[in-house]
Amino acid sequence: MTYGFVHHLAPLAVAVPLICAAALMPLSRHLPRAAADAIATAAALAVTAMCAALTIASTHAPIVYWMGGWVPRHALAVGIGFVVDPIGGGLATLAALLVSSALVFSWRYFDSVGTLFHTLMLAFLAAMCGFALTGDLFNLFVWFELMGVAAYALTAQKIEEPEAIAGAINFAITNSAGAFCVLLGIGLLYGRTGALNPAQIGTVLAQRPADALVIVALLLITCGFFVKGAVMPFHFWLDDAHAVAPTPVCVLFSGVMVQLGLYAVARIYWTCFSPALGTHAAAVQALFIGVGIVTALAGASLAYSQSHLKRLLAFSTVSHSGMFVCAIALFNAAGAAAAALFIAAHGLIKSSLFMCAGIVLNRFKSMDEGALHGRGRSLPVTRAVYFAGALGLAGLPPLGISAAKVLFDASFERQAMLWIAAVVALASAIDAGAVLRFGLRVFAGIGVRAPGGPLPQTQPTETRSRNALSEKLTMLAPAIALPAISIWLALSGTFVHGVERAARLFTDQPAYAAATLAHRVQPWPGTAGEALDPSAYAINLAVCAGALLFALAGAFGFRLPGPLRAPFMAIRRLHSGIYVDYIAYMMFGIGAYGVWLILAR
Amino acid sequence: MSGALLYLPYAVAVWLFLAGAYGLVRSRHLVHSVLCLAVVQSSTYVLLLSIGFLAKAGAPIFNPPQVPPGSRSVDPVVQALTLTDIVVGATVTSLLLAMTIQIHRRKGTVDPHHLRLTRG
Repeated sequence: MTYGFVHHLAPLAVAVPLICAAALMPLSRHLPRAAADAIATAAALAVTAMCAALTIASTHAPIVYWMGGWVPRHALAVGIGFVVDPIGGGLATLAALLVSSALVFSWRYFDSVGTLFHTLMLAFLAAMCGFALTGDLFNLFVWFELMGVAAYALTAQKIEEPEAIAGAINFAITNSAGAFCVLLGIGLLYGRTGALNPAQIGTVLAQRPADALVIVALLLITCGFFVKGAVMPFHFWLDDAHAVAPTPVCVLFSGVMVQLGLYAVARIYWTCFSPALGTHAAAVQALFIGVGIVTALAGASLAYSQSHLKRLLAFSTVSHSGMFVCAIALFNAAGAAAAALFIAAHGLIKSSLFMCAGIVLNRFKSMDEGALHGRGRSLPVTRAVYFAGALGLAGLPPLGISAAKVLFDASFERQAMLWIAAVVALASAIDAGAVLRFGLRVFAGIGVRAPGGPLPQTQPTETRSRNALSEKLTMLAPAIALPAISIWLALSGTFVHGVERAARLFTDQPAYAAATLAHRVQPWPGTAGEALDPSAYAINLAVCAGALLFALAGAFGFRLPGPLRAPFMAIRRLHSGIYVDYIAYMMFGIGAYGVWLILAR
Repeated sequence: MSGALLYLPYAVAVWLFLAGAYGLVRSRHLVHSVLCLAVVQSSTYVLLLSIGFLAKAGAPIFNPPQVPPGSRSVDPVVQALTLTDIVVGATVTSLLLAMTIQIHRRKGTVDPHHLRLTRG
């Protein structure tokens, strides 16, 4: 097989950030801060360009690159390869774009930060790209762990604060335990099929109906990746990590890292399990829809109950994870398209909201709704960006999520499961309502003041307090650019149709297997597109109105009566802030998922 | 080897996973927790190696003429996976232990119950 120029971009997208990370580390004492910022940002932007080129090229035919030229013979893959399809490539592009934006944001955000931060950010980027592009299950685990280790260290960036380390430890222990579940599942698959290449595993598993071993492997892999994907009851680490991690790191966690966990579940489901599951797929679908709905609703109500902005946004991410799982659980191309577009648009908008949170934190040294009441009025541009993001989260056109929601609703309508779309719309309204309520109180001074102490006088170490123009520009520019990109994506018919086509390829196991294992490159099979129904945007406006109602009710201090509030408070109390409980919930979750999958056979 | 014994390594893997998880849930010391996590991880080593096991087979090192290529050997792939897994485990363990030292320095305690994060 001869490789074109674009094929070499696949390994380069991982190698470039790793080499830059390794080069920055020993230079930490000699390199001025500005040089480290410039090198890291340039590397991240270069990776963005490479991943975008890969994604565009992969729409014609998959980009398959075998390390060391270990090309499959007789449809048997011994080597380790990268297989780039538009969905994987698109996620890598999103990761690189968000890392670039987070690095620009952090130029003026941190008072003092060593090049270790840049090293970790680039290692994190390399791991996310490798994770999205790899075509090998064991490598998927290794990238998953590299992604994890970089993320744990980044969470504990403020190493002087015991809370930051405690949050990082919760994150590290739960996610490592999840990674070991994934590895056990991959080990079982290897034991059954003798392969680590997902295309080959799928081909071998398809030869007979799924038995208990295959179901246990599916269970372990799903639960392990759901820890990263923040699906209940595996999500508990997420708000702890977001509350203590520096803002540029939160951007990456909520914007793309969590979604990569869900991507892995969908990818492995389609490439490995879908041909073998047969009638059992219905049980998996019921499980995914069930946990998706619970996660969406509970995440939204947890967000609503928060007065700490970073935790509020973190629970909003949990809620959206549930929505993505619902879309993936349709197990068809329309659902995958809705999930992919939703993940892209949510990543851009949620990142912008976290950057607004970072600007507020930078200015007032607090994230508390009560303490910040009315203070945001002195930040007019941030206020505008924040409100745009909050309404964008509810699906206000023309921001990106609006187009995703249209695909989402249409895909459920076609399956006669419109009630799921309705429940998700309710979760979305509560969730965006929580974000809006914080905005109304903090940026507009509307409503009664939430309980909370005065603004702290001490200066946390994370941020610098200068109020220079360059500071405003470098922090606001990415916060404005990312939602603007989401508008462009939603309005560009080419992009939306591209996502729909990409999803059809993503869910086409025979095409993936043929493309991966064939000796020659084969173009994707041709597909036709459908048009978006513009009247469907009306539902988005209804969700926005609902979000506004929830926000106003919250801002004016409306509370549910005690007995109705009790279940929400009970769920909230489960978030004990300590990993020993989280591991117990995780074991319970694996058991519960397992009982369902075995009983529902 | 008899049939029942062939399943023993899988039972050991399940046992290690559950014992490590139980230890994590009951842990009152961060170092203890980190080691419990290592116990959970060792279940993956046992599982991987037992998947590659083959009765009456040698190491996957072929050395003609005594051991010609293609002679019966255990699976080298899972051994490579286990080695990589150990490296990954060492990274996570060392990072967690470094965090433990730092938290002890700052807070004077390594009991997870004294390190609860406050709610917002």
